[in-house]
Amino acid sequence: MDNPDPAHQKKSLQTNESLSAGEHKKQIEFQNEAVVHLNALYNYALHITMNPDDAKDLVQETYLKAYRFFNSFERGTNCKAWLFKILKNNYINLFRKNSKEPGKVDYDLIKDFYHSIKDARNDTSETDSDFFHSLLHEEVYQALLSLPEEFREVIQLCDIEGFTYEEIANMVDSPIGTVRSRLYRGRKLLRAQLEGYARKYGFATDTDQ
Amino acid sequence: MNCIETRALISAAVDDELSFLEEKQFLLHLSECNECTVEFDDAQRTKLIIRERVVRFKAPQTLINSIMQLTSFSTKEMF
Repeated sequence: MDNPDPAHQKKSLQTNESLSAGEHKKQIEFQNEAVVHLNALYNYALHITMNPDDAKDLVQETYLKAYRFFNSFERGTNCKAWLFKILKNNYINLFRKNSKEPGKVDYDLIKDFYHSIKDARNDTSETDSDFFHSLLHEEVYQALLSLPEEFREVIQLCDIEGFTYEEIANMVDSPIGTVRSRLYRGRKLLRAQLEGYARKYGFATDTDQ
Repeated sequence: MNCIETRALISAAVDDELSFLEEKQFLLHLSECNECTVEFDDAQRTKLIIRERVVRFKAPQTLINSIMQLTSFSTKEMF
């Protein structure tokens, strides 16, 4: 936008008085198409990094790259899916290469993580007597994190983020058939984990009946 | 369609990703098979619980601000 404040110009990567009409248009479009997905990207980044600072870095890197290459984004396709793909590649480049082995879950970290954010819990008003509804967020999340990464990833992308199989297949570089079968097997494993919690707390499950 | 073929389609059925023909055959099998119906119901409930119980976080204001600097827009307009 035409902002004459010099301090503001310094901070902004692309804002100056000589901003071209094309760049201005790009900024508006980028905001409408890409920035609106900021919360979803941060949420996903937090769930895969388990660390708020890392999540912020990851999202920042993702938006920097997305803005730089925004002209290559195919208009009319799902921008959120495009951003997630960039985020996933950034994650691999920035974190996974030099951090802990993939697939290993640090349960103490999860506990601390959930302890630190428990005030942010968003309880639903479910009154369903289904045993699942007695489970806590932390337990469901632990069950999810206990899955091998290839299963956890597709479940998060499908059930939490709402991507289509085609979009997920593109993100994880696998055929749609693989996404289907990972979701099926992942949900079965998850179900078994959750039933374990339910039994621990004395709830009857379908398999007990 | 037999039980093995049906189970391969369960996740796609839960996510509304079956083709018209697949859905027809899938439902026909479920109408005749109690075990596959239970599997299907379980998969649906598992999806539901993930959607309901996994906490979603909003981006902190500092992050919103830094992303907004990319485009120099007012943050209040969007978040």
